[in-house]
Amino acid sequence: MKKLITILLILTMTFSLFVGCGNEQKKASSDVDIAYYAYSSEPILNWDPSVMFSNGVVVLNNVYETLLRFDPGTKEFIPVLATEYSSSEDGLTWNFKLREGVKFHDGSDFTAEDVKYSIERTMALGQGASYIWFAVDTIDVVSDYEVQLNLMYPSAMDLAAACPYAAFMMPTEIADKPDNWFEGGNEIGTGPYVLESNSMGDEVILSSYADYWQPWSDNQFEKVIFKKTTETSSRRQMIEKGEADIVSELPSEDIEALKDNANVVVESVPSFTNLLGMFNTEKAPLNDVNVRKALSYAFPYNDVVDYAAGGYASQSTGVVPEGMWGHSEELMQYNLDLEKAKSLLEEAGYGEGELKLLLTYMSGDEVEKKAAELYKAELSKIGVDLEIRGMNWESQWELSMATNPDDRQDIFFIYWWPDIASPYSWMYSLFHTEESILFNLSYYSNETVDGLIDEASGLGGTNIEKAEQLFVEAQEIILDEAAALFTIDKTVQWVQNPTFKGFVDNPAYPRVIFFYDCYREK
Amino acid sequence: MGQTLTKTLRPKIKEIQVSLYLLRRNKLTKVALYGVIVLLLIAIITPILLPAEIHINQDVNPAEKLMSPSLTHPFGTDELGRDIFKRILLGSTISLRTALIAVGMALLIGIPLGALAGYFGGVLDEIIMRLTDIFLGFPPLLLAIAIASFLGPNLNNAVLAIALSWWPWYARIVRGQAVSLKERQFVKAAKAIGTPPLKIVSSHIIPNCVGPIIVQASMDIGGVILTIASLSFLGLGAQAPTPEWGLMVSTSRNYFLNAWWYSIFPGLAIFFTVLAFNLLGDGLREILDPRTRKN
Amino acid sequence: MKNYIIKRVLLGILVLLGVTVITFFLSRIIPSNPAAQWVGPRATQEQIDQATVELGLDQSIMVQFQTYLKDLLQGDFGNSLRTKQPVTEELKAYIPPTVELVLISTILAIVIGIPLGLNSAKKKDQALDHFCRFFSVGAVSLPTFWVALFLQLIFFRGLGWLPLGGQLDTKIKIMYEIPNITGLLLTDSLLTGNMTIFFDALKHIILPAITIALYPIGLVARMTRGAMLEILSEDYIKAARSYGLKERLVLWKYALKNSLGTTVTVLALSIGYTLVNTFLVEAIFSWPGIGSYIATSVMALDYPAIMGVTIFSAFSYIFLNMIADIIIAIDPRVRV
Repeated sequence: MKKLITILLILTMTFSLFVGCGNEQKKASSDVDIAYYAYSSEPILNWDPSVMFSNGVVVLNNVYETLLRFDPGTKEFIPVLATEYSSSEDGLTWNFKLREGVKFHDGSDFTAEDVKYSIERTMALGQGASYIWFAVDTIDVVSDYEVQLNLMYPSAMDLAAACPYAAFMMPTEIADKPDNWFEGGNEIGTGPYVLESNSMGDEVILSSYADYWQPWSDNQFEKVIFKKTTETSSRRQMIEKGEADIVSELPSEDIEALKDNANVVVESVPSFTNLLGMFNTEKAPLNDVNVRKALSYAFPYNDVVDYAAGGYASQSTGVVPEGMWGHSEELMQYNLDLEKAKSLLEEAGYGEGELKLLLTYMSGDEVEKKAAELYKAELSKIGVDLEIRGMNWESQWELSMATNPDDRQDIFFIYWWPDIASPYSWMYSLFHTEESILFNLSYYSNETVDGLIDEASGLGGTNIEKAEQLFVEAQEIILDEAAALFTIDKTVQWVQNPTFKGFVDNPAYPRVIFFYDCYREK
Repeated sequence: MGQTLTKTLRPKIKEIQVSLYLLRRNKLTKVALYGVIVLLLIAIITPILLPAEIHINQDVNPAEKLMSPSLTHPFGTDELGRDIFKRILLGSTISLRTALIAVGMALLIGIPLGALAGYFGGVLDEIIMRLTDIFLGFPPLLLAIAIASFLGPNLNNAVLAIALSWWPWYARIVRGQAVSLKERQFVKAAKAIGTPPLKIVSSHIIPNCVGPIIVQASMDIGGVILTIASLSFLGLGAQAPTPEWGLMVSTSRNYFLNAWWYSIFPGLAIFFTVLAFNLLGDGLREILDPRTRKN
Repeated sequence: MKNYIIKRVLLGILVLLGVTVITFFLSRIIPSNPAAQWVGPRATQEQIDQATVELGLDQSIMVQFQTYLKDLLQGDFGNSLRTKQPVTEELKAYIPPTVELVLISTILAIVIGIPLGLNSAKKKDQALDHFCRFFSVGAVSLPTFWVALFLQLIFFRGLGWLPLGGQLDTKIKIMYEIPNITGLLLTDSLLTGNMTIFFDALKHIILPAITIALYPIGLVARMTRGAMLEILSEDYIKAARSYGLKERLVLWKYALKNSLGTTVTVLALSIGYTLVNTFLVEAIFSWPGIGSYIATSVMALDYPAIMGVTIFSAFSYIFLNMIADIIIAIDPRVRV
């Protein structure tokens, strides 16, 4: 036995001697500037810029570029790949002049042909946010650096061109690539960063593109890492220890604790995200407007703002959140009034203990869960039995699409944030009559409202004031009919490393960090 | 009839006496037994003293959220201001009740199948045994995860999932018993007088298997409680606001840097409960082991 | 002997088939719309219909199963609904880290569990025995996910000695070319002589390995103790002792060899438990193994992925049990 141990020891020591002399090939020096974004879920799953319609926005907006970028604060459009644009009086013709000297990551030049190709491809695939281009009839390549969009009806093409989804410019070379070329994790964009490595939705590493059309300075980031970190405690600990440069989506309790921490910088900014509880208007008892009103009076708005969102929210007014045009503070709000709720229920013919409802929410989201629990407790006080069920998004959505309305949920908790920076995103997707169920999970159908929405969307390109008016009118009706619970408008809390500078949140690009604008302050 | 009764009873009574003697001598097992009894009492009394309607459904006090342990809240409060100590007590009922149901269901499936397989033998035996082989081919918990995720995440489905993954053990054990029992005198006698085979299985085979099965099942309660907690932890079992221990540990992950008590105490509750049942089972097994009894 | 092996292998294949059947039919109960999931949000009905045909979902269940089985035999598990990547590719990437964890924990189980069980059997009813019994029962009563959180709290947040999670520091991943020979970081870094990577990987694997090892250590200790007790009371041991053979010889050479059978079975069993416990622990330590993979897939109801992992895990488990049975069968006293 002893002999065996001695032999093993000698072997191990000799082995480690040899091994110690081995090569430790370094790939990069340790003072490369790296930005580390600890992200709350998969950074990207779908690499196809025409189709991608979820988290991938944080990655693709650094790898690809759009023609314009929208600043909701100043309501101005910043030229990116387009240097200037104009539209005709009737809003049916839009002309974009393009930036010269821009190269794609494969070395080819960016020209008007590429713009035509990108938009037509997105329209042809018809997925994701492709609907932003619905109005486009034909696209003319006027010259190498000028392109014209001819529309079938007036529509705000500048908003479409600035959309964080479905508006990316890709080269015509894409047409020659095999069908699922993007799925392997490939890209050819014009953006400041190139894909270096991608591991199956877990981690994405980008490195700077030397031939980017804007110049690079020393303190900008040469590499950007997006890492999927689902545990909120992990994200918090990483930012505290300085392992990550920037995180978001931390629970309010962590934010409170981090405010006192000198190692991090906490910034709270408005977002365009709100939380709605869609009432199933096709199923009894919620097909009765009085019941819906009663339920709206039974929601603990203040408690949800204070405790579910930890104060990082405000009660919603109407469908469109604050900060987005089309929002109006004049619209009515329901407030917690249990007496009123009870009498409305009685009027509708429901006594105590006679109502049983099902509310579905997205599991894993603490804010939704707490809001649901608080609501359940409140409803319990007036004898309404609310079952709350946390489901993953796919199942929650699946349930809402059951053929028989009676098999579906009664209340559907859903966050909404805009794809295109316009009230149209909320009004159309959530409340316009739908042929087949998508996101109008109140199954709401009101001809007047439909008309208002359709008219307003056409005017968006030419007469914003009138469009706004119409959108507000539509919201009035929706609120009067209590088609949904309008709960809270959320704010976003970014926690950053003090040496990570240059980041300015843009709510039109949710959760996106334009890393080119950021730098390391030593 | 009366004679056979006393004939079978007397040796049984002697057995129980020996068991009690050995039990008294084994300190660890005694402690475990007291622990289990206390737990059962808590589980039974709590729902009476703290009716669910008020204490689960309406119990929110968000102004007092995440308070550290104090005199009024011995284990602190959770993210909605609920008293954690109270929720742990309520959770005991849930854990024990669901564990008992899950094991009960597994027994209901496993015992008849095992008895039939053992007694009738032949093709029936082969089929049932291969079936248990297949179910046992899943690593433990994995089948429960698969079933629960496909059926939909709630406590009832979790219980069903567990029952469907645990019955093969019991079927195996019962089958083994049945195979040896069918050679016994009284079974052969019953057969000789023409008792229908199903009646033999139900009146003679099954009652005699029940003994070791009950022991095995009670030893499993600990494991089942742990499984339920694990499923809830993964989001496949209990749903908010149910005060199930595994769910509480899972939720606490979001807060554990601010509220260490939220993760620690429900976890300890799981640990001590499972420990008590396991120690008891361990001790029982040793007591009932014929070799220990020999000495 | 050969007959036994053949019989055992055939049984293994049958079980595997049964597992596949059950998993497949289970996955078809889900009330989800895999075609819609595949196409993505804001899809038109047309696209969903097209995907239904592409994915073969318009066929009858029996035909779907046959196709699945055929693909399976060629090593094709289908594509993940969530990432659109072939499940086999994802499994290939996610399996090695889990294997690393399971291996280390099994080594720990053997190195700690067996001596513990042995010595407590030797000194029955003394302090060590009580400790061992309490420890081994305690270890299998602990909720692993809770231990993980606890260890993280102490060693990362409290003491700052060990990292929070992941396999390697990000800086190291950027600075060095990560070797990939066996897929096991510890082995690969040793083989290529990169000690920086080795020590970093070691630092990262300690906490998850300890968390996962607790259950098998407890199990192995308990079983070894039980088996040893049985053997120590056997006559031939008493005979060996009375012949004056050295105690150590008696223990190690005779007793241990004969308890090997139980230990091997227990190890196989414990690897099965460990595999499943990794599901709970990998999420907490951000360990990129199949545990995280199945947790994410379950959340997303990604049934090809769930089936892939289930069948793979079942296969490993069945395979291990088969090997264990065959090893035990070498002992001529064992034969069913």
